Amino acid sequence: MCTMEDFKFLFKVVLVGNAGVGKTCLVRRFTQGLFPPGQGATIGVDFMIKTVEVDNDKVKLQIWDTAGQERFRSITQSYYRSAHALILVYDISCQPTFDCLPDWLREIEEYASSKVLRILVGNKIDREDREIPTFVGEDFAARHNMYFLETSAKEAENVEKLFMKIAEDLMQVQAKNKDLPRYESSTTNISGRTSSVSDSSCCSKLT
Amino acid sequence: MASLEEMQKELEKIELQEIQLLEEMKHFVNQRSYVDAKIKVLSKVLPTLKTLKVETQDLVNTIHTIAESAENISDKVRTLDCARNRVDECQQRVGDLIDVGLCSEGVQAAILNEDYEKGAGHVHRFLSMDQSLLTQAATDIENVSSVLKAVGTLQDAASQLRTIVQHKFDEAVRVEDLSSIERFFKIFPLLDMHDEGIKRFCNYLCDKLRDTADKNLQTALNASVSDKRHHVKFADTLTLLFEGLARIVDIHQPLVETYYGPGRLMSVVSFLQKECDTQVKLIIIEFNKHRQLQKKINQISEIAKLSSSSSFSKIDKLDPKELDILIQEITIMHFRMELYIKFIRRKVLADIEISVLITEERNTQILSLDNLINSSDLSRRKHELLSLYLQLEQYFMEESVSKAVGIDSTDTSQQTSSMVDDTFFIIRKCIRRAISSGSLDGICAVINIACGVLENDFCGILRGRLKQGYPSGYLDLTQAYNVLQTSIQHGRLQPSDTEQIRTAFIIALNNADASTDYVETLCDSVLSDVKKAIPNMNTNEHGKLESCLSGLSSVISNLRDVIEYGMQQLRVSVIKPRISPWVDSFLNINHHLTDDELSEYEAGESFVQTLIMNLDSLLSSFKESLTSSNYDGLIKILIGEVTARLEKVIFKSTFNRVN
Repeated sequence: MCTMEDFKFLFKVVLVGNAGVGKTCLVRRFTQGLFPPGQGATIGVDFMIKTVEVDNDKVKLQIWDTAGQERFRSITQSYYRSAHALILVYDISCQPTFDCLPDWLREIEEYASSKVLRILVGNKIDREDREIPTFVGEDFAARHNMYFLETSAKEAENVEKLFMKIAEDLMQVQAKNKDLPRYESSTTNISGRTSSVSDSSCCSKLT
Repeated sequence: MASLEEMQKELEKIELQEIQLLEEMKHFVNQRSYVDAKIKVLSKVLPTLKTLKVETQDLVNTIHTIAESAENISDKVRTLDCARNRVDECQQRVGDLIDVGLCSEGVQAAILNEDYEKGAGHVHRFLSMDQSLLTQAATDIENVSSVLKAVGTLQDAASQLRTIVQHKFDEAVRVEDLSSIERFFKIFPLLDMHDEGIKRFCNYLCDKLRDTADKNLQTALNASVSDKRHHVKFADTLTLLFEGLARIVDIHQPLVETYYGPGRLMSVVSFLQKECDTQVKLIIIEFNKHRQLQKKINQISEIAKLSSSSSFSKIDKLDPKELDILIQEITIMHFRMELYIKFIRRKVLADIEISVLITEERNTQILSLDNLINSSDLSRRKHELLSLYLQLEQYFMEESVSKAVGIDSTDTSQQTSSMVDDTFFIIRKCIRRAISSGSLDGICAVINIACGVLENDFCGILRGRLKQGYPSGYLDLTQAYNVLQTSIQHGRLQPSDTEQIRTAFIIALNNADASTDYVETLCDSVLSDVKKAIPNMNTNEHGKLESCLSGLSSVISNLRDVIEYGMQQLRVSVIKPRISPWVDSFLNINHHLTDDELSEYEAGESFVQTLIMNLDSLLSSFKESLTSSNYDGLIKILIGEVTARLEKVIFKSTFNRVN
């Protein structure tokens, strides 16, 4: 359990998108440096942690990898509310996964905090059979005020960049604005009471 | 002169050296006899050494010869070994050939006598021989035709037996002759028909299962509404189905293992799983139909849509109480599915464990087991059921909490109102129910939902009440409070609007404080409950749960914000306006006293006393009504205010030396 680790910020990042667009592979690539082929469909939600360093500060990213299949929707929806960042993933070689993006945005609109950081990711750029040109993705992201990036979990392209960018952005937002969904990092607070009440710098500051 | 001294020194040195030399020489002389003796001894030993050398050379030669002969011997032993192996092989072949003859004779007789076990035994013996060697051997020896003939007979007999056994097995199934079924089931592996045997046997088991499941479902459907278990009849049917399946696996596993060898359970389970999927599907379809699930889900989403788009909320709402029983049944069903899947997984894993020894092979087997389970219709239905459960549970929680808030009432003896107890009772109930479903994902999702309800709805309501403010209508709060107190005591809670708002304010503040405690206990109890319900969580699952639980601690900080907000309200509307005149009266006191006046003043010191008295009465008006930690908070603010104000006033005043 991750209670007394030394980190300055803790952010919850949730990945969503259609089944089979490569959410699990992105997370695996980032957290373990692996690209596991023949990955089965995710069941419910998976949970991974990686601590990165931004400006000499330790930032803990809590990454929630959700199942894309419809029947897990009510589980995954319950994670939107407390997310700091939402990564919406589609497959650049599969038009239907792109066509579903508006549905996903509606869902995000409904369940997530209005201040959540939203990122659009076109995955699988290693594939030859691209169906969605980069500018189409860019355009969509721009229209919906999202940050945009194309990645390849297989070739490890832009994966590190994606998560680091999220960590940096969230830290900036955190510095400016203290109204993001509050998130106490550990259960020590619960049992140990005290602490963190008047912690003015919000978010989890366990120093 | 200097040189003389030097020379004398030199002389002394030389003398010293001389003495030393002399001594050394004496020593050498003494040693001489000893050395002489040594030399004598050595010269005596010399001839012995010579013989020793010769003898050693001899020894080396001998060892060489021995080594050579040893090598020779081992070479011969090797050849012998090889020869013996060949003889063994030969013997086995001869044995095989003899057996072939015997078997071919016996098998026909056995078939004729319907002694299929014996016949199959012969065939099994035949099949266990190396077929290519057998034919080769047959060509090598003179009596070619007889052996070939025997082999031919046996091959014929084998195929003959195969058809017979299949036929007989099918017939036994048709007439439900249990002992014959078992009898022929045991013969299949002897004829190298493992897969066929398992397939046919499982088909038979599936047929049996289908019959019982059909019957059970019919009984459930025909059960009258007055039946005690009517509200969980589908869960019961599902339980019966799984129990039946588990019994089949338990009973037949040893049978399969004995006659077919270990490692066959996976194929048995995959056959059974198909039937299981079909039956589960039938039950779920009936369940959906009879409990009108789709209609309810539609209603819920309709309500959600309407309430978010407009405040038009008086459409026909689903009573959460009605859902309660249904949700209960769903959790039971889900738990049974979870339990059955775990059972199957455990059984097959144990079977793989003993039958597959290579780690890689084992891992692929485990992978295909997981694949079998995860891709089964049962798993899919389980997930759908969980999704259904979550939608209903969320509605139940939200509606029940808003109901609890709606019927909020205050008991005069309590510092808090009923909505706190009610809300946490509901949330606790929902989370407990989620735990009873046996799914960690479900538990986490319900915790997340609870966090949302507490943070948005519950805290929102408390904050809303505090926003009304604490009106300070009466100049003397004690008086105001007394009015309030008496009216409460007399049970006629119809004080004026301001008083009502005041009570509401104080109670909201207390509610928030009590809630922080509730959330903390909730968190602890959920953690220990889950640990009990799912004992073997891995670290990842543990992390998942803890992370979701820590969402509750953000509820706590939210509640503390609410309290803080309320306290600031009190500061602005109650403490500040009251304290200011009290402390300001300090200005009216003459601060330029003579000594006499001072002693007189000290005797009848009025400012401090009045201030203390006033503060006391102000505080005592709150002491009863606030929870202790809120009261502490209030005192803190009060002290801060008084100090600040007093400081200001003192700086404003001018003093003479005596003061």
